[in-house]
Amino acid sequence: MNDQHYKRSENFEPDFTNLLKVLRGKIPDRPTLFEFGINDRLIGKLSGQVTEDTSSRLAPFKRLIKSFVNAGYDYATISAWRTNTLSFPKGDIDSKESKSLNSGNMITNRESYDKYYWPDPEKGDYDIYLDLRKLLPERMKLVASSNGGLLENVIDLVGFENLSLMYMLDESLTTDIFNSVGSSLLRFYEIVAPIETIGACIVNDDWGFKNQTMFPPDMMKRWVFPWHKRIVEVIHKAGKPAILHSCGQLKSVMDTVIDDLKYDAKHSFEDQITPVEEAYDQWGERIAILGGIDMDFLARNTITDIQKRCVTMLQKSINRGGYALGSGNSIPDYIPDKNYLAMISTVKMI
Amino acid sequence: MTELLQKIAKMVELGKIDRNMPFPPELKGKDGASELTLKALEIGIDPQDILNNGLTAGMNAIGEKFSKGEAFIPNMLIAAKAMHAAMEHIRPYFSEGDIPSHGTMILGTVRGDLHDIGKNLVKMIMTGGGWNVIDLGTDVENKEFVNAVNDHKGAIVGMSALLTTTMLNMELVVKELHRIRPETMIFIGGAPVSQSFSDEIGADGYFRDPYSLVRYLNKDKLRDSQ
Repeated sequence: MNDQHYKRSENFEPDFTNLLKVLRGKIPDRPTLFEFGINDRLIGKLSGQVTEDTSSRLAPFKRLIKSFVNAGYDYATISAWRTNTLSFPKGDIDSKESKSLNSGNMITNRESYDKYYWPDPEKGDYDIYLDLRKLLPERMKLVASSNGGLLENVIDLVGFENLSLMYMLDESLTTDIFNSVGSSLLRFYEIVAPIETIGACIVNDDWGFKNQTMFPPDMMKRWVFPWHKRIVEVIHKAGKPAILHSCGQLKSVMDTVIDDLKYDAKHSFEDQITPVEEAYDQWGERIAILGGIDMDFLARNTITDIQKRCVTMLQKSINRGGYALGSGNSIPDYIPDKNYLAMISTVKMI
Repeated sequence: MTELLQKIAKMVELGKIDRNMPFPPELKGKDGASELTLKALEIGIDPQDILNNGLTAGMNAIGEKFSKGEAFIPNMLIAAKAMHAAMEHIRPYFSEGDIPSHGTMILGTVRGDLHDIGKNLVKMIMTGGGWNVIDLGTDVENKEFVNAVNDHKGAIVGMSALLTTTMLNMELVVKELHRIRPETMIFIGGAPVSQSFSDEIGADGYFRDPYSLVRYLNKDKLRDSQ
């Protein structure tokens, strides 16, 4: 497979209604792809532009959008870190490739909370989302996400182990921190969701470890879920679907995600927790299932095995809908390009 | 006497450190593990008995609940805090302040990986289960594991990784440790690893949660001492 010039097809035209149908639990007109993030090397190869062009405000997005089009997506994801619209300043984090959930904490008590510089979501340049219309093929849309989710940002600010103790020892401070982060994220989605170029929103917030949620469901119900519910409401109010990207073992809270928070789709699955095939059987009639081809599977298997699994998954969903093919999480640079291309090329085999 | 030790165990399990601790709300203002341990010492209960049937029993109880998915990491962290607070009272009763242990574990997150929550949990549960833990920290170079094994003869090794990329470093450490000390028992843990990966790289086992590991090791210890 020529990974330098991959294209879904010469005549491929993105059409967001395909992903929209998936997100509404329906059958798309053609097999549909979904990915949250793709590494820069691959964006370079797919777009034919190896390095990012920063000569103008829109130039980097041109490359990004072209890579999504060539790969065969009906949309491009656009995170707030790309648009510089909202981010919470973090402390010194481990300056290496991986990062501990305990590092970078800036808020440890009431005094540091009061001193923290809280970003103002109103100050972002949201015009960028509308200006990107110039670069999007006619029926292509953007799928917007914030720069980290509620629990993720709170953990980044406080540190996982600190937060584990803080919510038991200082409920008032815990409430204030969640409210500060939650209200900013809510405002971000309130501004972004109604924009014409935005077809759907991803709310990205990792909640689980391998065996269970990071925090007990009672803690999540008190501090995390109410803000998610409000965020989903503002996305729905704008007539757009809301996708939850959340890693880890979430079985104990999936009913809440579907029935109470009312997410339209769930993204992020791991074979060692719940393989996507099982997730589709278990929840697929109540919520759209996105991606799910396990990252370790993608990284370490043969092209034949990858294609076999992807074709089987697409066939499984072909008459029921509510599924788009993609990885279990994202495409970091350690996944061989040929393996990723093997996965996405299976939409042409159905 | 037994009732007091059970109470200490319960306070450790609940993470009630001391009287000032507001959690759990229903025990606000009541004695925690710290005060109850002092009380136990005052009435002459053997510190070893307090350690085994109070503090360790409490950590075992929360570890078992965690293993079954009935408790969460924050519960383990707060329980460990309660245990450590109480341990400070009994430590002076042991020679040179050393608490007797089942053995030593050398623990670390492998090279390239900075994730430490899983490792820290293993440390807490192993300590609570009566093991002396040498924590090498995160992003541990392969040779640091080797040096530590050379420095602590008979120690077992625990390696943690969160990333698919870094878990591959485990194999290199296993090979090197088994080359220099074939008898070293090596256990692995972390999100991307599994029993089949453990078998593949020649480690001695994978455990989904730290309590399962300590239960396995302590069973072995009990069997050895019979």
